Amino acid sequence: MTYIGAEEIISPLGQNIQENFEAVRENRSGISLVPKVGFNKEDIHLAKIITLIKKNKFEFLLIDILEKVSKRIDASIIPSEKTLVIISSTKGDLDRDISSPFAPAVAALMKYFNLKSQPLIVSNACISGVLAINAASNFIKAGLYEHAIVIGCDVISDFVLYGFQSLFAVSALPCLPFDKSRSGITLGEGCSAVVVSKTREIYTSSPLELLSGTSANDANHISGPSRTGEGLYRTIKRTLEQNSVSADEIDFISAHGTATVFNDEMEAIAFDRLNMSDIPLNSLKGYFGHTLGAAGITETAISIQMMHHNLLVKSLGYSEAGTSKTLNIATENRTSELNTILKTASGFGGCNASLVFRKL
Amino acid sequence: MRSITAYCQISEDACYVNGDVVAQKNEENPDSWFKQLYKDLAIEYPKFYKMDMLSQAGFLGSEFIKQTYPGLISSYAEDEVALLFANSESSADTDIRFKESYQDKGSPSPSLFVYTLPNIVLGELAIRNKFYGENMFAVLPKFAPDFFLQYGQIMFETGSKAVLAGWLGILEGKVEVSVFLIEQNKPDGLQFNKQNVIKCASPDDQA
Repeated sequence: MTYIGAEEIISPLGQNIQENFEAVRENRSGISLVPKVGFNKEDIHLAKIITLIKKNKFEFLLIDILEKVSKRIDASIIPSEKTLVIISSTKGDLDRDISSPFAPAVAALMKYFNLKSQPLIVSNACISGVLAINAASNFIKAGLYEHAIVIGCDVISDFVLYGFQSLFAVSALPCLPFDKSRSGITLGEGCSAVVVSKTREIYTSSPLELLSGTSANDANHISGPSRTGEGLYRTIKRTLEQNSVSADEIDFISAHGTATVFNDEMEAIAFDRLNMSDIPLNSLKGYFGHTLGAAGITETAISIQMMHHNLLVKSLGYSEAGTSKTLNIATENRTSELNTILKTASGFGGCNASLVFRKL
Repeated sequence: MRSITAYCQISEDACYVNGDVVAQKNEENPDSWFKQLYKDLAIEYPKFYKMDMLSQAGFLGSEFIKQTYPGLISSYAEDEVALLFANSESSADTDIRFKESYQDKGSPSPSLFVYTLPNIVLGELAIRNKFYGENMFAVLPKFAPDFFLQYGQIMFETGSKAVLAGWLGILEGKVEVSVFLIEQNKPDGLQFNKQNVIKCASPDDQA
């Protein structure tokens, strides 16, 4: 069996998993209006860690999160050749060295924790986090490593904000995933981690079981979601089939839900094709913004907490159905027995990924 | 038994398939090197001109393989071909140009921004070839044969029937490109092992 646990998050909502989950269960958002940061000096809603003003933010966050993770596991596995660190990020420390956005921070992380294996950087747009957890599971199942620490991190930069502005993809209001009035993303920043292992004993608190996940491409467009939800449909179908899990065993879906008009519509179509539209679902982008490479890990970490607390957390920013296929979006927090969760992600380059985890 | 059944390497002035030169850069030709290679292929795919150099590199490598072995890749079903690519520079070549667009040229360019992720090339290959299979793009400090060997094997073990892999070193004029196809149960090709991954893909060991 492969386990997943030791989840940690640093975000505008808190410095550790407890603070973050507490904020989410109180339905607080990390999004605020940040003055004069847009390309034309306009105010923009961002989920920005206001207190984070250090140089080399990316490196700082990687080290900080691994410090936190080390307290949740048998820390002796960190400097072990049986452990792989996988980092999920789209842009790394772009402002430090645009030609080599990852290498300086990763070298510092290796040195600080005396890591034996070269960390692997997974950079697949917005599916990076889910794909990195899947890679961790695959490396362990193949017997190449016994443990994998999966860290997701992206920080807000002019580069990424101006880019999304140039695509007219930034919401004027805090993002409204799956809502009728949604009009784009709210960028976020953060760092999160989970530990994947074949050994239950390394965790200081009970982990969950991680099932194998998959990815699939839409083969349709590099920056527009498929109109048929093709890649998302295929990856979910493959993930369920490979693990012999049926759709009716899924208690909850942690969707991607970026709050762009086309992405959320695409997801609704894919879930409808899979006969999964009745399964309770949320997007956590209303809490954390879109944290790109960190998103899949942050959302997995919150979903793990939801399972431990048997609490289905509402999808912040949603009030009225706004997709052609109706979804069962959580409009209130509610106590619910959550045994098996499906996590999905989709991104530029037409990529999609999914994974399933469940209680032991 | 898994083997590398075809490989294409592109340097700053030559293109090789399975170690044999198939094209050399004509310095007199006003076309860019990649445009020369595209014209050599004699195919109609206008989308090529919209791609950034990273995507063009992956496209050219895979198209030269397909031209040498028609049917090699198309013999697989839609979900069966996995894409496994890596480099050291991520999308830095285009990132630099996008940054110039808003710092020096007045406004951020959306057509550059959409190429500022290294996995966009996987999307281009998927669109061109109707690949709906697994995707992985990794950024490594330097060329690492073990990454391809380990993750390639994982892709087969998790259900893929063929893996189209590549190292795409593109940055400010540097061209260190290799694309190679890994298949199983084929009579021909080089055994899929570390030495052969180095032979087919290492930028330090081009033909």
